[in-house]
Amino acid sequence: MIECLAVTKAFNQGKPNEFWAIRGVTMALERHHMTVFKGPSGSGKTTLLSLIGCLSRPTSGRIKLDGRLLSGLPERFLTDVRRHTFGFIFQQFHLIRGVTALENVMLPAYPLGRRRAELLAAAGRLLEQLGLSAKADCRVEWLSGGEAQRVAIARALINDPDILIADEPTANLDSALSGELLTIFSRLKAQGKTLLVSSHDPLVFGSAATDRVIEMRDGRLAEDALC
Amino acid sequence: MPPAIVALLVTSLSVTVVMIVASGFGWRILRCWNINSGSEGQLTLERRTYLISTLLCYVVVAELLSLWLFVHTAESLSDQFVGAMCATGVLNVNRFGFPTLLLKIAIFFLGAAWLILNRVDNQADDYPLIRVKYGLLLIIAPLVWAEAIVQLCFFLGLNPNIITSCCGTLFSADAQGVGGELSGFKPMPMLLLFYGVAVMTLTSGWWFVRHRRGGVLFAVISLLAFAIAIAAIISFLSLYVYESPHHHCPFCLLKSGYDYVGYGLYLPLFIATAFGLGVGTITPFARIASLREVIRGDAQRFAVLALAGFSVFYAFASYLILRSPLILIEWH
Repeated sequence: MIECLAVTKAFNQGKPNEFWAIRGVTMALERHHMTVFKGPSGSGKTTLLSLIGCLSRPTSGRIKLDGRLLSGLPERFLTDVRRHTFGFIFQQFHLIRGVTALENVMLPAYPLGRRRAELLAAAGRLLEQLGLSAKADCRVEWLSGGEAQRVAIARALINDPDILIADEPTANLDSALSGELLTIFSRLKAQGKTLLVSSHDPLVFGSAATDRVIEMRDGRLAEDALC
Repeated sequence: MPPAIVALLVTSLSVTVVMIVASGFGWRILRCWNINSGSEGQLTLERRTYLISTLLCYVVVAELLSLWLFVHTAESLSDQFVGAMCATGVLNVNRFGFPTLLLKIAIFFLGAAWLILNRVDNQADDYPLIRVKYGLLLIIAPLVWAEAIVQLCFFLGLNPNIITSCCGTLFSADAQGVGGELSGFKPMPMLLLFYGVAVMTLTSGWWFVRHRRGGVLFAVISLLAFAIAIAAIISFLSLYVYESPHHHCPFCLLKSGYDYVGYGLYLPLFIATAFGLGVGTITPFARIASLREVIRGDAQRFAVLALAGFSVFYAFASYLILRSPLILIEWH
């Protein structure tokens, strides 16, 4: 269970350009579900996901994961949580240009000190599951949008996280590739992963894989509709 | 002004400034800390405590090292004052010398205890010792400020025209005060007390390492061992080093003429006492769930380090006695 309790987030606090991206969000998210946050740009979806994923800290309020306080953890513990619990798929993929797809997938596992042979095997397996075995040794700048997206998914999964956070994952994909992505998400959910997705793509929040849609507006929850 | 004095004053100023900031923060922690609250104030405290405790680590380590630099500086200035033959004479130039030294020693042990508490607290994810840590800081801070003022007065009052008294005056059986009292102790009972406490210290440390019990007792005995060791150095150990039955100075041991043997005695003694105290500081918190494993490991480690330090000290002290041609005690 992921719990947000009266979470707020302000940027440039106390300055003339102060901006409250999140304005008191309280909610509970089920594990092993796919939850989609929808809303217009600037509604706070990405900020909220970054708070849940420990990429930033709330200005006030608490975030708990299975009863454990996440938002108050000292940085060294947060790093550990980020590495082991969360996998991130960014809107712009943020793959490292100039290195191969396989190396990109392996990167987040380096700080954990796993044996290279074991790591190579795990990365190869993930690329195979996502239909990218043939592209493993290709530099990422040579890949198509859909292929790059799947490399980003493989990279997010390399540390076998329980929770996968995807920010606008279909923003750069056509309908066919978006459909493929949702099929992959369904499979991951079936494997027991929790998926938190921000999107304003009707294909995503209308998908059968989606268990819950949470609408956001101006940093608040607008509605909480069960699918 | 010698560079060492500048270094001591700059260190003292830096530590004082950081302590002022940290004390204000510590006071807020003691009054407002509530881990169950998600208020903006609580989250700000959580974010800042990491920065403040990191800064404090550096200044406390600097303060610990300043004890050595202070003694070394006092020793090196002894040729600047008429009547001074070692650090004793320099510390006696005005009434601020010995208070500065005593404050530095007190801060050394309290600072070491704080560093150990901080290390343990930082290994748990729920800030279990945060109030204890900042409570101790609020005790150390006034001592640091007092030391900064007294040290400044000491250095400003170093007038080369003053004729000071040498260690022979302060540390002799006929002198008034603690130095005189310690110098007047009979060697035989002091020797027995010294080795009796040595056996107690090593046994209690070994007992703790073996059974993981008696941490506070080991800390108390470590402190006792420190006090007895200093008394023993003044009372009889120094006599063996100087090979003279009337020279009791604990500072001349640091001179090159005596092969700097003082460093070989004081360094392991201070370090061992600090670790011994550390064991007693953290073991009472071993019942806290998030600290159980951390303290189990760290207390064991610190006890071993304390035992190693005390062993080196007692071995070196025994070597100094055995190698000396001076016969203080007739065994027949």
